[in-house]
Amino acid sequence: MSTVEKYLKPEVIRQIKRLDLRAQFIVKGFLHGLHASPFHGFSVEFSEHRKYTPGDDPKDIDWLIYAKTDKYYVKKYEAETNITGYLAMDVSRSMGYTHRQDMTKFDYTICLAAALCYLMISQQDPVGLLVFDEKIRKSLPPKSRRGQLATVLSVLANLKPAGKTDVAASLSQIAAMLRHASLVMIFSDLLAEPEPIFQALHRLRHRGHDVILFHVLDEAEARFPFEGMVELEEPESGERLTLDADNFRRDYLAEIEAFREAYRRECFQSGIDYVPLDTSMQFDKALAGYLAGRKARY
Amino acid sequence: MTFVNPLLLAGAGLVVVPVVLHLVMRRRPRLVEFPALRFVRLRHDTNQRQLRLRHLLLLLLRMLAIVLAALALARPSLRFSAGPIGSQRAPVAAAMVFDTSPRMEYRHENRTRLEAAQELALWVLAQLPPDSRVAVLDSRRGPAAFQVDLGAARHRVERLETTADAQPMPQVLAEAARLVAGSELARKEIYVFTDLARAAWPLEGAIRLQERLREAPDAGLYLIDVGVTQPANLALGELRLSGQIVSNRSTLRIETELTSIGKGDKHTVELYLLEPDPAGRIPGARKPEKRGEQTVAVTPGQSRVMEFRVSNLGVGTHQGYVQILGQDGLAADDRRYFTVEVKPAWRILIAAPRPENAYAVFLREALAPESFRRSGLARFACDVAPLEELRQKDLQPYAAVCLLDPKPLEPAVWQKLADYVAEGHGLAVWLGRNAEPVKSFNEKPAQDVLAGRLVRQARSPEGSLALAPRNLEHPALAAFRGVAGAVPWSRHPVYRYWQLEALPEGAHVIAPFTDEAPALVERPLGKGRAITMTTPVSDDPNRDPWNLLPVGEAWPFVILANEMMAYLVGSGSEELNYRAGQTASLELAADRMAPSYLLTSPDGSQARVAPDMKQRRLVITSTEQPGNYRVQAGGPADGVDRGFSVNLSAEQTRLERWSDKDLAQFFGTYPYRLARSKDQIELNVHTGRVGRELFGLLIVAAAVVLGLEHVLANRFYRKG
Repeated sequence: MSTVEKYLKPEVIRQIKRLDLRAQFIVKGFLHGLHASPFHGFSVEFSEHRKYTPGDDPKDIDWLIYAKTDKYYVKKYEAETNITGYLAMDVSRSMGYTHRQDMTKFDYTICLAAALCYLMISQQDPVGLLVFDEKIRKSLPPKSRRGQLATVLSVLANLKPAGKTDVAASLSQIAAMLRHASLVMIFSDLLAEPEPIFQALHRLRHRGHDVILFHVLDEAEARFPFEGMVELEEPESGERLTLDADNFRRDYLAEIEAFREAYRRECFQSGIDYVPLDTSMQFDKALAGYLAGRKARY
Repeated sequence: MTFVNPLLLAGAGLVVVPVVLHLVMRRRPRLVEFPALRFVRLRHDTNQRQLRLRHLLLLLLRMLAIVLAALALARPSLRFSAGPIGSQRAPVAAAMVFDTSPRMEYRHENRTRLEAAQELALWVLAQLPPDSRVAVLDSRRGPAAFQVDLGAARHRVERLETTADAQPMPQVLAEAARLVAGSELARKEIYVFTDLARAAWPLEGAIRLQERLREAPDAGLYLIDVGVTQPANLALGELRLSGQIVSNRSTLRIETELTSIGKGDKHTVELYLLEPDPAGRIPGARKPEKRGEQTVAVTPGQSRVMEFRVSNLGVGTHQGYVQILGQDGLAADDRRYFTVEVKPAWRILIAAPRPENAYAVFLREALAPESFRRSGLARFACDVAPLEELRQKDLQPYAAVCLLDPKPLEPAVWQKLADYVAEGHGLAVWLGRNAEPVKSFNEKPAQDVLAGRLVRQARSPEGSLALAPRNLEHPALAAFRGVAGAVPWSRHPVYRYWQLEALPEGAHVIAPFTDEAPALVERPLGKGRAITMTTPVSDDPNRDPWNLLPVGEAWPFVILANEMMAYLVGSGSEELNYRAGQTASLELAADRMAPSYLLTSPDGSQARVAPDMKQRRLVITSTEQPGNYRVQAGGPADGVDRGFSVNLSAEQTRLERWSDKDLAQFFGTYPYRLARSKDQIELNVHTGRVGRELFGLLIVAAAVVLGLEHVLANRFYRKG
């Protein structure tokens, strides 16, 4: 089985192919009449004419029609542009974790990434790949050709999550690295101090990037299914704690919920899409749900 | 608490097992990789504390379960008495205490309370193990001892009867506790058959009883209540006579009250006098003759006072009784007996300065008013003589002598008066303006009679001073007891009186003035008494009087004078009406002493009683039976025929009961059991002997603890 088939099953494609992934800033620009497409005049499709009203940009006036009718008309364009997508993947040791020995968080994120990559390529949008743990480990330049999906997936399939993570530093590095406003899709379990990460996310947003944050947790991390006495070990730091899981579950879930809530609130304020996921959720459905919601919003 | 298998208590040592397991076999927690440890860390400390607490709780539960199981296997039993546990058939040292006061004659469901007690007691006796030692105690005074065997005890119980002279139950019970405590048998029991009447259980005895019970700490105490919870009864209160020795010219008043408990309606009370029966077979026999009848309506819980009057009683001893017509639950309080002695009018000599009749007018009219004298109803026969005649006068016919405002008398006269009083007569001295020079009154002959040295005349011209009798205990003031506080002494001011000092030994103030100076002082002399009043009653009210006692509405003075005289002549000094169990004592006339007297008891039995020749008294100790006793000697014509009455104290027949709760104050912390039926007795005695087995309770407790432990353990250590 090829890596593409492994991560992107036909039923997933069926789920998502009807959908598209649009960058929100482009749509925003259309609505306000402030077109800021990075590829100006490249893939703008004319849709209709409208009477000129004061305030319209005079450069949109169709002088040809003025010549014919002696009236000012402006051209309206369909927002159809190339957006460059970047898949920013966390490959720290914790991403390799799976409680049920079924699908690690990393596998889960690859599947997600594959679906999104497919989607973008099918929209003719170039997709690049950034892999980070404490810093960016690997990157693929964005391309929109068909082979890009296989390239991305083969790179990902050969990666093994290891080492510590520094999401904030990596995101800052990404922000510095990307020159054009792009769609940055971050896949991480975010198991680090949230405050620096928030700052890094703000920085990304400030650079004009459209950010989607896929917060992927393992099923065990989201549900805390342990029972009885357990000794928990953090894979990255090796720290251990002994506790009574039954007694602790409620407290843990409250903590996790508070954590997600903090991200949700922060992302909402910064205009970042926050997508909390865990490995027990069927990622295609989750993704389809998210995309449908996003489409409705923009 | 006692144990059947005390050795198994050692099993409680196994409590160390869970501790050891807890320490040694600590379960290793499963090691799980978990990246989101940072969320755990935040709340880990609180969680650890809870975990430790749960561990401790589980450990305690396990230890408790082991202890409970060990306890249960040792088969403990809780006993309300601390005696040794043993077979039900081991011999017992038992004391059976019976309340045999007359109240136990109360008839309910055709059985007296005593019969009910006897029946239960015989049943209890039949239940006692053979070789048990049994003592039977009743309310009679006297030492207690164990009966020879159960048969003798049974016989003793069967022969029990009520006694009029009943001791309080705490006293009898204390004696029983002493007896049982001294027994060498290990198991001790006390059965108390009582009607729980308040009269039988006076609170005063409670502390002493508790002390005594502490001497027998391991005895089982069973109270068996044979009383009736809601009794219905009519009772006559104690008789109050106007006097026990009365003049033949006065009217005898008999006062009593009819009390009803749980029984209303109208009731008739009759007065009977025992009159000589000429037709009787025995010479001197008497038959009751009805002399009065009153019908009153009483409601339950209420009492009505009733008064009978009898006049024209001939000189001699008169006996009789007051009784309720008809029958009720308790017969013992339906009849009250009385004895009075009627004597001829007492002769009083009033000696005063000349003109003696003018001096004596107030006192004479107070003691024997003119109209009474004429109709022959006066209680006293007063002769008036001048002071000068005292020397020659034969005083023997007089029961008492009064000196009104005396002048200085010759020493021989004082001596004569002193001898006269010492023989057993009375003397009253009213000091006044004539007591000058005071020196002669302060010399020895006068001081042998008077109640102190005369100091000076005290004056209170503004009229604020008056007699102020406070303590009305003295017989001369007894008549004021009913109206104490309402006597208008202040309307009869005293302006002058003689201050007394150095009251001789034995003298005491009967009544003071409002300034606390002595007004009436009594001084016993030999067998007689002398009373000195420090202000006279012979002053003309129009001529600078010393006081206004005999003026205006002078009833306090009249009563005081009469009662003082009655006291001085000896009326009321002799007791003729006794309570059951009291020692009766009759004074005998010196000239008519017989070597022995025939005592006739109320039941007709007769016995010879020898008098105390020295004291000139006849002392009778066997007065347990209520009724009229007769003492006779010599022939019917010139012999002695006297008598006295014995009554139950009204307190003894009161049927009010203590409630079950109140009983605790008698026994304090001492464990006791109350039973009313055979079943209750059986249950109580069984529990008392064997104790209450705690096995079941402990097993249940152990099971509950184990269950709890299981639930908690499952909750804590659910398998992942």
